[in-house]
Amino acid sequence: MEGNKNHIPAGQELVRMTGITKQFPGVKALEEVRFNLYSGEVLSLLGENGAGKSTLMKILSGVYQRDDGEIILFGEKIREWDANKAKDAGIAIIHQELNMCTHLSVAENIFLGREIVKKGRLDNGRMNEETKQILDKLNIDIDPAVQVGDLAVSKQQMVEIAKALSQNARVLIMDEPTSALTSKEIDELFKIIHQLKADGIGIVYISHRLEELQHIADRVIIMRDGKFIKEMPYDINRMDEIIANMVGHEIKEKFPRVNRKTGKKILEVKNLNAGRLVREINLELYEGEIVGIAGLMGAGRTETTRAIFGIDEKESGQIFIDGKEVKINSPIDAIRAGLVLAPEDRKKDGLCTGLSISDNIALPNLDMLSGGILGTVNRKKEKEIVDQSVSSLRIKLPNAQVAAGSLSGGNQQKVVVAKWLVRNSRVVIFDEPTRGIDVAAKVEIYNLMNQLKQSGIGVMFVSSEMPEVMGMSDRIIVMCDGRITGEFMIEDATQDKILTKATQFEKNK
Amino acid sequence: MNNSSEKNPGTLQRFVSQKGMGQVITVTVGLVVLCIVFGFINTNFFTSRNITNLLRQIAPTLLIGVGQSYVLFTGNIDLSIGSVVGMSCMISATLMCHGVNPWVAVLITLACCLVVGYVNGILVSRCKLPPFIATLGTMTIARGIAQIVNGNYNTDSIGEGAKGFRSFFYSGKVLGIFSAFWIAIVIWLVFNYIMGRTKTGRHIYATGSNIDAARLSGVNVNHTIVYVYVVSAFCACVTGLITCASTGTGTMDAGTSYEMYAVAASVIGGVSTLGGSGILLGTVIGASIWGVLQNGLQFAGAPVAIRNIIIGIIVVVAVLMDVIVRTGKSKTRRNKNN
Repeated sequence: MEGNKNHIPAGQELVRMTGITKQFPGVKALEEVRFNLYSGEVLSLLGENGAGKSTLMKILSGVYQRDDGEIILFGEKIREWDANKAKDAGIAIIHQELNMCTHLSVAENIFLGREIVKKGRLDNGRMNEETKQILDKLNIDIDPAVQVGDLAVSKQQMVEIAKALSQNARVLIMDEPTSALTSKEIDELFKIIHQLKADGIGIVYISHRLEELQHIADRVIIMRDGKFIKEMPYDINRMDEIIANMVGHEIKEKFPRVNRKTGKKILEVKNLNAGRLVREINLELYEGEIVGIAGLMGAGRTETTRAIFGIDEKESGQIFIDGKEVKINSPIDAIRAGLVLAPEDRKKDGLCTGLSISDNIALPNLDMLSGGILGTVNRKKEKEIVDQSVSSLRIKLPNAQVAAGSLSGGNQQKVVVAKWLVRNSRVVIFDEPTRGIDVAAKVEIYNLMNQLKQSGIGVMFVSSEMPEVMGMSDRIIVMCDGRITGEFMIEDATQDKILTKATQFEKNK
Repeated sequence: MNNSSEKNPGTLQRFVSQKGMGQVITVTVGLVVLCIVFGFINTNFFTSRNITNLLRQIAPTLLIGVGQSYVLFTGNIDLSIGSVVGMSCMISATLMCHGVNPWVAVLITLACCLVVGYVNGILVSRCKLPPFIATLGTMTIARGIAQIVNGNYNTDSIGEGAKGFRSFFYSGKVLGIFSAFWIAIVIWLVFNYIMGRTKTGRHIYATGSNIDAARLSGVNVNHTIVYVYVVSAFCACVTGLITCASTGTGTMDAGTSYEMYAVAASVIGGVSTLGGSGILLGTVIGASIWGVLQNGLQFAGAPVAIRNIIIGIIVVVAVLMDVIVRTGKSKTRRNKNN
């Protein structure tokens, strides 16, 4: 609709921030940070969890007030600043968690709060039409009348981008936009990003998936510990330098592989069926090995782990631990049988974010920590195991009584893992253990997997990141559409082979 | 109060830093201020006679508050409390009027009430009904039972044979204080211990904080939910027995609106209706504020209508303060989370 007004020639400075400082009670979140953004570029804002990227972007978008520093937007110095002013000025954020009214239609969402009214009634026809125009311009094929909740996450995200553009956004901030997308969807998103670039929109791109940058990034700004570290044009040949600047030290081994002779069979799953995405699953896991489960989004990997762990109901199938059949109808049974699952969605399934770290770590182990008629928790023992897990996993925290939700993503993940390691488990299943956490924390999770492996535990992990699967597994199982389509020893595995198996859909469907 | 007395600094720190402790401290200050104000308005407020009366008045609110808090900790609500109070009152009174031994009557009453709690728990956990709807249903049913047991009449006096019963649940005095208050305090102490120190308590908090994570951590969340509803019904039952003992008759509409008083006592004391946070110490303070307001306003000559309005305002303000404090905190937390 107002598309042409949007167009800005490339290379103009849209945003310049200098000396930005922000103090929160107890922490200096930002210290003298500088930042700038040009029209028609994709700027990758890099840094580990807690580096201050989100805080900086929240200051730009008016969610937080800066303590000190200067913001120049489109050549004008800004004084009073809040979220509404930022929105009016054309700054839009696409959050990791989408902000959509899922029960409303696409058009209703896009026009939310500024509905077109004719004679006191909503003019749905016109709103649908204008929505269609905006979507067409972005080459997005979505019906404006469909409910947002019925769309895939990737489409919802595109609707959100369209909404921002319909409000004349000139600066678009994307915070981990690809974390929930499949590789095909990511390609579509990148196409849209290229188009936005061509329209002269400045894009700030925040992502932990560094391999994505080669497709879109023009320039990078690196932050660390709330400080500006480096600005440079993006160059794939300088990735090591970029990572070293993010982490503050060189990471020598990205995937620290250890060798151990695999022992006897621990876990065997026979003919497991549970819903559409778990069909006739047969798999085995041996002592001291790491098995990676690869596949596309929606291949049924998470569902398989959930079925094994007794979260979802099984239709049929048997599970054997150390050769003996066990009935697993609930997580309680699974834990008793020596299984452990670190789930994919930390906030939803992994942690009670409102409770303290100590409570979270103790929760699955209360049977070992309590006694007496009432089941009194032995606090001394509790403190011992909490301290032990915190130090062995090097979880950074002020004290174990703070809420688990206040930790950074990487540390939260460590807590999810920590709470299980106290038990003498036989099998540890990780579902996307490194999603959304920074490079250094990833390596720590890898080290932990190796530690488990060396102590003779069978480790199984689901991952969508191919380098990780290739780097950490001893054996790789590939799933597609609810079935196991391939299995490779690491020596025989190549990315091509895995991808072929991962896309081996049944023809007669 | 209960566990801060240990000298271990970790324990003290833990006690003070408990979630919801901030609210408890705030409302405790509010309670003290209220008492001082009423003390000025009415010189009889601080007489030992009034204080024993006050404590007796607080007892039922505290009891049902404990039950409702348990349910709220798991993120659910129990609307059947008031009706269970009525049911308990009517069943016990009817049995005693028919010459049943009072203690046998108590046991039968207890069994009936716990069944209501159990049904609530099953409906909410296994049948996955919204707690509001499920307990709305049992609320109506339980009230119906209260009406039907004596053929839709209040009972006569429970008679001389129930003297011991009346003394035990209500009028007996220990250290000059009515036994109703002691019963409430003992029950509170037990459940406070369970909440703060035992596996069950942890499971309750975890279920309220994040039911999915709790389930995956091996918590039997269905059992936990049934448990809190049974506790709530137990507390309501004892409240009904106290009511019966105090009047000496069974009244069909005993306990009307008690479920809401219970919510009020809980939330004034900082128990979140969203689950996972708050402490039972807050419920004591909440119930005390409730009792002091009733008692003080009555003394000050305020008509019932005015009392209701004032108490309603205080409930809203107390929760509002909590919300303001909480949003302030969550902002700073978000930043660290980055």
